[in-house]
Amino acid sequence: MNPPPVEIALDFRAVAPIAISGIGAMAVLLLEVFLARRKTFLFKPIGPSYVSGVLGLAATFTLVAAITTAAQAFLSGGTAVFNPEHPMVQLDRFAAFGIGVVGVGALLAVWLSIHYLVELRINYGEYYALLLLSTSGMMLMVSAVDLISVFLGLEILSIPIYVLAGFDRRKLDSNESAMKYFLTGSFASGLLLYGMALLYGTTGHTDLAGIRAAFDAGNPLTVGGLGLVIVGFAFKVSSVPFHQWTPDVYEGAPTSVTAYMSVTVKAAAFVTLLRFAAAGFATVPENLTQVLWVLAVATIAVGNITAVVQDNVKRMLAYSSIGHAGFILIGFVAASPEGYSAVLFYLFAYLFMNVGAFGVIVALADRGRDWDRIEDYSGLARTRPGLAAVMTLFMISLAGIPGTVGFVAKFQIFAAAVKAGHVWLTVIAVLGSVISIYYYLRVPVHMYMREPGEVSPRTGMDTTEGLVLLTCVFGVLFFGFFPDGIDRLPLSALSWARDSVALLR
Amino acid sequence: MSVDVALFYLFAAMATASAVAMVVNVRNTVAAAMSLVICMVSLAGIYVVLEAHLIAVVQIMVYAGAIVVLFIFVVMLLNLRQDSFPPGRMRGLKFLGSLAGLWFLARFLATQAEYLPQTVALEEGFGGYRHLGMALFTDYLLAFEATSLLLLAAIVGAVILAKRRLDT
Repeated sequence: MNPPPVEIALDFRAVAPIAISGIGAMAVLLLEVFLARRKTFLFKPIGPSYVSGVLGLAATFTLVAAITTAAQAFLSGGTAVFNPEHPMVQLDRFAAFGIGVVGVGALLAVWLSIHYLVELRINYGEYYALLLLSTSGMMLMVSAVDLISVFLGLEILSIPIYVLAGFDRRKLDSNESAMKYFLTGSFASGLLLYGMALLYGTTGHTDLAGIRAAFDAGNPLTVGGLGLVIVGFAFKVSSVPFHQWTPDVYEGAPTSVTAYMSVTVKAAAFVTLLRFAAAGFATVPENLTQVLWVLAVATIAVGNITAVVQDNVKRMLAYSSIGHAGFILIGFVAASPEGYSAVLFYLFAYLFMNVGAFGVIVALADRGRDWDRIEDYSGLARTRPGLAAVMTLFMISLAGIPGTVGFVAKFQIFAAAVKAGHVWLTVIAVLGSVISIYYYLRVPVHMYMREPGEVSPRTGMDTTEGLVLLTCVFGVLFFGFFPDGIDRLPLSALSWARDSVALLR
Repeated sequence: MSVDVALFYLFAAMATASAVAMVVNVRNTVAAAMSLVICMVSLAGIYVVLEAHLIAVVQIMVYAGAIVVLFIFVVMLLNLRQDSFPPGRMRGLKFLGSLAGLWFLARFLATQAEYLPQTVALEEGFGGYRHLGMALFTDYLLAFEATSLLLLAAIVGAVILAKRRLDT
């Protein structure tokens, strides 16, 4: 009666980064239990900051291993499919680029958290475990070529972030942030799932290649399904009109979590949407371009204009992240290889400047309170000149002033849009960019031209926080001046982005 | 009309009626949850008519059983009564919205019916435990394993948010 045994050839290289992050998360969970039972570990007495440091180190090793495997896959240039008979996950250059951005974002967030968690007195090992689980979900999503693995990846990335946003349980803001993100996020997941069900129901396929082959642009149910899928992703990247959750969630969540989610969720969702747009639905560019055009313009306008009136720096950065989502959407409207590689480069650039800006807020956090009001930054140039200088650098990079990576990223996007004939869109985007200079430069104006307040800021900085700021300063300046690397340091980010989208055509 | 088709229409009518009852009873939460149970059981009946017995059993156990029980627990814990909901606002707008939805559905059925999914022939043993097991552990092995990561994340998250004292 038993059926004959089934032989399936599995290529585990395709899931190596995902598996490493997942196993690392479990290892961190066990490690904390092990540490909690002892008084000393490696001849040192166990205190809160020591536990946080050991767990942060374990998370660092995990992420470095995951990034290394992805980098190897990128350099080899091959395509590894987990189960070739039924492809669900595919590690190619495109996925490897996404995994790299997500992994580096997670790594910087881990380093930001080590001291910050002790400062807020929320240093529980589950923090790092959830962060790693979420990262593994993002890695699954960016390498997914099937609706089922896309959805699973999205849920594995979202659920830990709902919890991380509410990790500071004693604070009302943090609870509000988690609740809002959870309710609106599950609603968006529902819409996405409904869209996927319609796509499956009308095409009979869950894999992107099959959907592309069976796609019928005249069928209202298929187009409706695609629309709902775009709504689901637009929510995750906080594109207008699905952005209302962003300011409250970014403001309430612990700043290290905000730094993490603002860059990695955006990167993972945009990379996945790019695979959908370029590989899955390349046959229906007409309607899709119009929808994305409207989304991009609305997102740029609302994000940049609302950011002007914010007096809380975290909130201002939340609206600025909405604005940046609009700039990235322009690359989708251009719908050309240049546009797509510009999207990838933008995500890479955004990683450094945004984590850097949130990193300064983390480095200033004192006695459990975030220094996030604009008045807190008054006279910072006198009391903390170093931090004021790097904050200014990140602000001018976010504004897109030449000499920084933010300028290169915006230039790539605008050039692709003009080349594709979207001149009006580019004009609107440049206007939005001009508005953004005003609110970004408010922070340096407060730091350099106002008197310091009565409460002096925290002195000294944790080593890992310094490491994050150093990495971000390097990223902003190096890729700002040499976006394609130099001979001695061949970090050619532009070529990486171009190579990644090459196989999408 | 064969027995199969008659049964299908019976269960389909039950599912639709109970779904409408759930929405109408939205302010009486227990009644709404019970309507949801009937809706889920009717769907299970449709699966039985399609000879997908395993899926029908899973439907009753997971949806009619576990999930609705969870809903009822939440309703009881929150101690919701009818008067804990404010009287409906924007009734006219809601009524117009329902009318617009019905109109849209009617238009869709009248003009685009050709795009509705067509019937397909099912392979032998579809929806049975053997078919499901083969699919789960060969083609969808990765999805099956990834789900365990999702459950781990949910469990750890629930503990960290709901545990009474975190410092032990």
